[in-house]
Amino acid sequence: MADTISARSGRLGQLLRRPEAGIFLGLIAVYIIFAVLGGEKFIGPSGWSSWLNVAAEVGIIALPVSLLMIAGYLDISVGAVVPASSLAVALISNHFGMPIVVGIAGGLAVGLLVGFVNGLLVTRTSVPSLIITIGTMFGTMGLALGLTVWIKGSTGVFLVADPVTKLIFGEALGGMFRVGIFWWLAIAAAFYYLLHVSPWGNGVFAMGGDRESARNAGIPTDRLTIQLYMLSGLASAFVGVLQIIANSNAQVAAGSTFIFNSIMCVAIGGVALTGGAGSVLGVVLGTIIFSVVTQGVFYSGLDTNLVSIVIGAMFLLAVLTNDSFRNFIQIFFSKSK
Amino acid sequence: MKLTKTLVLMATAAVMAMSATTAFAGAKIFVIGGKPDDPFWGIVKRGAEDAAKVVEAQGGSVTWLGPQNYDNLGVDAAELIRQAIAQGATGVVGPDWVPDAMDPAFKAVKDAKIPLVIYNAGGIQAADRLGALNYVGAIDYKAGVAGGEYLAKAGAKKGVCINSLPGAANIEDYCKGFKEGLEKNGATYDVLPLPATAEGNVGAVSEAFKAYLASHPDTDAAFTTANLDAIGVAQGISAAGMDGKVKFCGINFDEGILNQIKEGKQACAIDQQGYQQGFYAVSILNGFINYGLTIATREILTGPGVVDSTTIDATMAGAKEGTR
Amino acid sequence: MELIRKLLRGPAAAAVLSLIAVVAFYVIVGRANLLELGAAASWLNFAANLGIIALPVGLLMIAGEIDISFGAMIPAGAITIALLSGTYGLPIEVGILGSLGLGAIVGLINGLLTTRTKVPSLLITLGTLTIMQGVVLWGAMSLAGNASIPLKSPDWAKFLFGHLIGNSHQVVIVWWVVMALAFGFFLHKTRYGNWIFALGGDRNSARNAGVPTTKMTIALFIMSAMAACFVGMCGAIQFNTTQVSGGMSYIFNVIASVVVGGVLLTGGFGSVTGIFIGTLTFAIVNKGISFTAINPNWANLIIGTTLVLAMLMNEYFRKKALAYSPKKV
Repeated sequence: MADTISARSGRLGQLLRRPEAGIFLGLIAVYIIFAVLGGEKFIGPSGWSSWLNVAAEVGIIALPVSLLMIAGYLDISVGAVVPASSLAVALISNHFGMPIVVGIAGGLAVGLLVGFVNGLLVTRTSVPSLIITIGTMFGTMGLALGLTVWIKGSTGVFLVADPVTKLIFGEALGGMFRVGIFWWLAIAAAFYYLLHVSPWGNGVFAMGGDRESARNAGIPTDRLTIQLYMLSGLASAFVGVLQIIANSNAQVAAGSTFIFNSIMCVAIGGVALTGGAGSVLGVVLGTIIFSVVTQGVFYSGLDTNLVSIVIGAMFLLAVLTNDSFRNFIQIFFSKSK
Repeated sequence: MKLTKTLVLMATAAVMAMSATTAFAGAKIFVIGGKPDDPFWGIVKRGAEDAAKVVEAQGGSVTWLGPQNYDNLGVDAAELIRQAIAQGATGVVGPDWVPDAMDPAFKAVKDAKIPLVIYNAGGIQAADRLGALNYVGAIDYKAGVAGGEYLAKAGAKKGVCINSLPGAANIEDYCKGFKEGLEKNGATYDVLPLPATAEGNVGAVSEAFKAYLASHPDTDAAFTTANLDAIGVAQGISAAGMDGKVKFCGINFDEGILNQIKEGKQACAIDQQGYQQGFYAVSILNGFINYGLTIATREILTGPGVVDSTTIDATMAGAKEGTR
Repeated sequence: MELIRKLLRGPAAAAVLSLIAVVAFYVIVGRANLLELGAAASWLNFAANLGIIALPVGLLMIAGEIDISFGAMIPAGAITIALLSGTYGLPIEVGILGSLGLGAIVGLINGLLTTRTKVPSLLITLGTLTIMQGVVLWGAMSLAGNASIPLKSPDWAKFLFGHLIGNSHQVVIVWWVVMALAFGFFLHKTRYGNWIFALGGDRNSARNAGVPTTKMTIALFIMSAMAACFVGMCGAIQFNTTQVSGGMSYIFNVIASVVVGGVLLTGGFGSVTGIFIGTLTFAIVNKGISFTAINPNWANLIIGTTLVLAMLMNEYFRKKALAYSPKKV
């Protein structure tokens, strides 16, 4: 009898001791509050689609950003790659009249190129990744604006995609759920495999712990870093493709909020700014918390001037719940020995 | 040694730079405007650049000074005005976005005996108060009023202004004008301020508006103050399943927005013809500085003009060119 | 000559040299007018407003924490003084105290939450940032009915906080230099400074060694929030107007300046001289571009390139200085 109890509490204990458990609890806490405030509209498909749509876009970017942060790097250039990719797709397919496939390839290529430059500069110089990627961010913004105005004469480009492309990238199922959601979940699954199953992921964690030791242990840190940055560029470019197909409109100024928002999702998801630890599940949960909080407030019917206060309070509630839960679990499970 | 090599390269570059011809004489005009990647201000800049072709042909130059963001509009613009003076401007074109912050800077321009043209914001009152030659532009407040009137007259009863930058003077004027336009025609007004996490993010704007409609289902009119917000609001209306029930107008437009109007997703766009603002303001200054010419009609209004499905086709041609 | 060699090996030398290189780049390649650049105040004003906040934030980062709530504290400081002394007509002293007091309170909250819980300071200050943005908007709309509040200040307040020296240079520049000297002394010449480095190295070891880690952390957060309110307050007095939104770009700019100045995001390393010059460099890179003949459409491209080049030169000169060994006669 005692064996079964301790075995069960052992497995349950293991589950509860995982860092994601606390994050999940934080999510439950804020969701309940918004459900109470927002009523059936929030709990229903309208509410779900709202935060899922937002989560999908920032989530796709948050995934590679989290890997970079685990490895001890930052990527600020995501904010510029998103609109640059949108513009590339629109310019190639609208202005130059090429088929949409070429346009999309062009947009993704932009992301890969910026990622490559980031990785190269970060590994070849001792300049902190924050500064390098700020530099590439400005550079990409500048190129995007300069080239767009030079080619098109305005700061935005317009493109209407054919129905098939729209279905794959831009459709909203039932008028509400964007296909981006499914892309996000698929990409999350891929990243889970990359980070937690394949040996490639071990290299990422090792780099975040101590780069020198990792290199001495035989991990190709430079190559890994470049790959990580190219992944980040690719993901941001992909979001740019999703946006131009869905919105039909590409503007140079779009995308800057992704920098701040993606880092927030990653941090709420349990990845430290200093790197070394984190999980894909945590980042996904962190992304959902971010989206639920920033969207749920609009269903609450509260005075619109209070929006930011509610968002901030809910953020704190989520992370403090996580913190209290972790303390509780530590005390609880250290007692029952 | 690496250092000497660098120095030699720098010296060569210096010599080459000095030997390039530099323009002197003619008007040295500085234009203070919005940030270069702003869709509306990009058009104003186009107008200024086209007028600059004449200025340069007469031996002058036109320099565009814009803030990097709209975080602190009045303060940043005041700094830019003073920078123009410090850089030796012989003519200044500026918008009076925030009189409290910017008037002292404009006064410094007049004190330095530099001719001044006010454009885009402030109205003829600002031009008179600041001793400027002319005012070229629309009135932001009136643009909001035009939007409110258009929608109310089309039958709207409950309107909401989408404010993605609470506190910025021009955005606040749009919403206040919209309020007046609605209330004068028997409709009610509400405002939806968006948090910083949503700025420039079409998806976030669309979801926020969809949620707003869910909790305010009898809304039937909306007003947007930025190009990307218009795209987001159109999507939000569709997502809330209220196509046709909610009509909205927006400030400025581009190809995407015009397409929305053509497809019936957007009711109207309020145009202040930014191209004209940049073009005429620079041309007036250039004529005055070089030849002492003036335009006696001191208030030159470039808007508000309403573009809706009735005027759409002609406008679209201009938008394709990037001049509208 | 020996003195010059000695200076060149100092910690600030690399930063100064890369700053000179940036200016040279703009002058030579961008055809900026050096005299105009020197006389113009726009970049110095920009640097001073950034710099006052960069100092305590930089110290926080050396101590291993981070504060992003100052993005909302700047407009909070401005709106507070505008509400108190503008809308409600209270004497300006009350406004100033209220503005700085608000900074102290929010800083205290940041510090308490960070030290009492295991939640990273990035997330705590994210929460306070967002909440304060809302409080400022709601406060302004409810109490003044407007998202932009004007303020008229008496002459003495203008003289101290918000006037232009020589009609171009904001007096905050003086405040910035004074604060830099004070912070420099504090960090590099007092034991409190050692404590800050210790905190950034390893918090637990520091505590075991007797460093009052909690009190120090809270004090640093209070300084950071108060500095942000101070900047907002000075802006309000100088420009007679305040705006509810705004300040988000400061987060980006301040952290970039601090990192350019050599402070590590992971903590434990940095210097006040570095932060000071990093701020100057960032300001020149950003603002100097408009003095050049480069089309503003391409401005961002140049800014990005110049920023990275400045850091590269910084590293290059620093390595040269470290590798230098005096010739044996």
